[in-house]
Amino acid sequence: MERLQSSVVRTPPNSTVVQRRSKSYRQSYRSCLGAPSRLGLTPGLTARRLNSSRRALKSHVITVSHTNPSLTIFYVLLNLQRETLNGHVFYPVLFLLKEKVNPEHLALLVKTEWRLSYVTPLHQFRHTQLKRYSRQLSAFIAAEKQQGVAMEVEGSQSGFRVSFSVVQGLAATDDDAETVLIQIYSTPVFARQDEPQKSVWSGWLTCINGNPEYLESLPKGFTCLPLFGGSGAEVLTSLVKSWFQRTFDCCFGPLEINHTSLQWLAALWTNCHTESNLQHLKMIWTLPVVPPLQVTYTVNPQDAWELWMSVRKDRLERTEEEAEAGSIDIEEVVRFVQGLKSHFYRHFRLDLSAGNLNQVSTTLGSAKSSGKIKISNSRYMITTLTLLTECALLKMPI
Amino acid sequence: MDDSARRLLQRIMRRIPAQMLKPTLDKWGRLTAAQRQSMDFTESKWALTEKLLAICEENEMTVKHITELEMIHVIENPDHCMWYALQLMDPEEDVHSVELTQFKEQFKSHLRELIRHVSIKIKKHTDEAVWIRIAWGDSFSRPNHLKPTYVVHHLQTPYVFVTSLTSKLKPLLSQALVLSTRYQAIKDASLSGRKLTAIRDLLMRQYQQVFPTKYPSPLAENDQNASNILINKEQAELAASRHQKACEAFGDGMLPQLQSAVYKLETKFRDHTNKTMTEREEAFRCVVKFASTNLLESLRHCASSGIASTPGTSLLSSIPLKGRNYFVITDNSPGPSSQTRQPSN
Repeated sequence: MERLQSSVVRTPPNSTVVQRRSKSYRQSYRSCLGAPSRLGLTPGLTARRLNSSRRALKSHVITVSHTNPSLTIFYVLLNLQRETLNGHVFYPVLFLLKEKVNPEHLALLVKTEWRLSYVTPLHQFRHTQLKRYSRQLSAFIAAEKQQGVAMEVEGSQSGFRVSFSVVQGLAATDDDAETVLIQIYSTPVFARQDEPQKSVWSGWLTCINGNPEYLESLPKGFTCLPLFGGSGAEVLTSLVKSWFQRTFDCCFGPLEINHTSLQWLAALWTNCHTESNLQHLKMIWTLPVVPPLQVTYTVNPQDAWELWMSVRKDRLERTEEEAEAGSIDIEEVVRFVQGLKSHFYRHFRLDLSAGNLNQVSTTLGSAKSSGKIKISNSRYMITTLTLLTECALLKMPI
Repeated sequence: MDDSARRLLQRIMRRIPAQMLKPTLDKWGRLTAAQRQSMDFTESKWALTEKLLAICEENEMTVKHITELEMIHVIENPDHCMWYALQLMDPEEDVHSVELTQFKEQFKSHLRELIRHVSIKIKKHTDEAVWIRIAWGDSFSRPNHLKPTYVVHHLQTPYVFVTSLTSKLKPLLSQALVLSTRYQAIKDASLSGRKLTAIRDLLMRQYQQVFPTKYPSPLAENDQNASNILINKEQAELAASRHQKACEAFGDGMLPQLQSAVYKLETKFRDHTNKTMTEREEAFRCVVKFASTNLLESLRHCASSGIASTPGTSLLSSIPLKGRNYFVITDNSPGPSSQTRQPSN
C-alpha cells in the first residue's frame, strides 16, 4: 500500500490538468501537483506536497584541490573503475564534471548562517548584465541613504560597493538558472588607503534541481531563482530585496523550514555519518506549556546511524528494484524520527509530537524552523539546497 | 590602599546595580556620616566609584574591609553565579553537637593546614545559613581576591552549596568541610542552578511540601467561563484528575525556580516495531536537556494539560522527589518510583 501511495505522487501530473492556452495564464506550481489530492489517496488536505522520495545524499565533489581540469577527469575515471571492479553497478556516484565552484565562494557559502526567503520568478533578469546590476544597486543604496534611511552599518560614511557574481558549478540540471552571489563591501571609517574593503553583507539566489515542469511552464523572459539567502545587517537585506522587487517585478517572502523538511534534513544528515562524522545529532523541541519548555535531544551519532540503517533495512528488504535502493522515502524518515520520539517517550512519558521541532543540527549543518540554515560541509550542499529549493517553490504564491 | 584592593573595589562597584548601592553601603557601615552625606547617589556609577575610592583611601581601608562589602552584596543577591550542591555523608555520633563557633574555628584551622595562603571570612546570616568566602592563594602567592569561592552551609543539615570552585581546589574544601562538620564524606548532589534560593528550597524541601498521598480534587465550580456546557462537563472530570496527579507529583503553589535538568540516557533501545534495534546489545546513548525559566512549573503544566502521561512514575518527577537535576540513567539503575529520599530532620 505504501508503494502505491508513493508512486501516485510521482505520477506525471499532466494527465489530470486542463491546460489553457492563453498567453497570460501560466500554470501555477500548485496545478502541477494537483493529481494526488484529486485521487484522494494521500492523507492531509494540501494539494501541494514535498517530494515523498528523494535520492540519497551522496557526496557531490564540487571542488577539487587541483586547478588542472584534466586531473579532475582522471580522478573521476579512477573511481568509476574502482566501482565496476567491486561489481557495484548501481552505486550512484555523482561527480560534477562541469566547472568546479570557486573555492572562495564556497568558503563564504559554508561558513555563514543564512536567513532564507522565497522569491517569485524574476522578469528580464540577465546573467550577462551583472556589472550593470552592481552599479544600479550601489546607486540605490546610496540614494536610500541620502533619504535618511537609518544605517547602523559600520562604514556608512564612505560608500558601499556591490558585487554581483555567478557561482558556477552549483546548478544541477540544465533547467536550473545559475546561482547568483551578491556581496556588499564597505570601507571602514578609519581605513588606510590600501586596506581592502570589508564584506558587510552577502546574499545569493539559487535554483537547484527545480521542478522541471514548473520551470518549463514559465513564459519567456522569466528567470526562476526561488531560493534567497542573506546574511548581514537587516537594513541592507531589506534594501536589496526592495531593489530586486522594483527592478525585476518579483516578490520576496519569508521561508520557514517546516517540521517535515527538518525531519528530512535530520535523516539525510544521519545517512552521511559513515562518510563524515556527525559528532552528534541534536534536535530542539519546544513544548507549548506555561512557561515554554525547551527540550534538547542530543543523540550519539553512531547510535542514530544504526537506528537509521535499521529503518532502511526493513524497507530495502521489501524492495525488489535496485534503482529504488538509492532513494530515500518519506516513510523511512518518519519512522526514524518516530523511533527517536518513542525512545524519549519510554523514559519521560512526554510525547514530543505535542511540541514543535525548532532546530536540527549536526556538524554537517544546522537548520532552524525560523528559516535559518547553515551548511557546514560543502559536500552536501547540493542536496540540502535541492530540498530548500523545493520548499521555496512550494511556498511561492504563484 | 594597594592596587589589588582598588581593583577589587572597582569590580564590586561594577557588579552592584545602581539602586542597590546606597542600602549596601549603609549596611557595610564603614563610612562616617559625613562621608555618606558627601556621596551623591544621582551621579553616574563611574563618578561614584571614584568618590568611594577616595573615601576608602582616606579611611585607609584594606582588602579585608573591601571583601566585607562584596560579601554583603553576594548574600543579598546570590542569583548571579552558578551554584552546585554537595551533600555530606555518614554522620558521626556527635554531628548534632556542632555549633557555630566550633564550626568556624575548626573550618578555619583545617583549611589553613591544607593550604598556606588562604583568606577566609565566615558570616552567619539570619536564616541559619553560614556563609563562607574563601580567596585562594598557593605556597608562592597571596590570596587572589578576584576569584573567590562562596560556600553556604546550613548547620544541622548535610547540605553545602558552593560556587566558583575549580577541580584542583575542590578536594581541599571538601576535606575541610568534612572534618569541621563531623561527617565522614562528601559527595556531589547532582544539582546545580543559578538561583540559590531555588536549589536550596528544592533540596531542603522548604517549598509547599509534596506528600504522596491523595491531593484533594479541585472543586468543579472553579471554572465559571463555560463556553460549551456539554464539552466542559465531559472534560471537567478528566482535567480535574490530571490536575490532581500533576500536583501530587510536583507540588502546589509556588515552585522553586529551577532552570534546567540534564538526563544522560544509556539504556537499550526497545521498540516492538523495530526488531533490529531491539535486538541490539549496546545502549542507545543520548543526552536530553530540559530548559525553561521555571522548569518545575513547566513540567507541572505538562502533566496537568495531558502532554505528559503518568507524571508520578516518570523520570521527571524525580527532580523534586530526589532534589537533583543531573541524572545518569542506565538499564541497571532502579526506576524512579522505587527510591524516595529520607526526609531530613
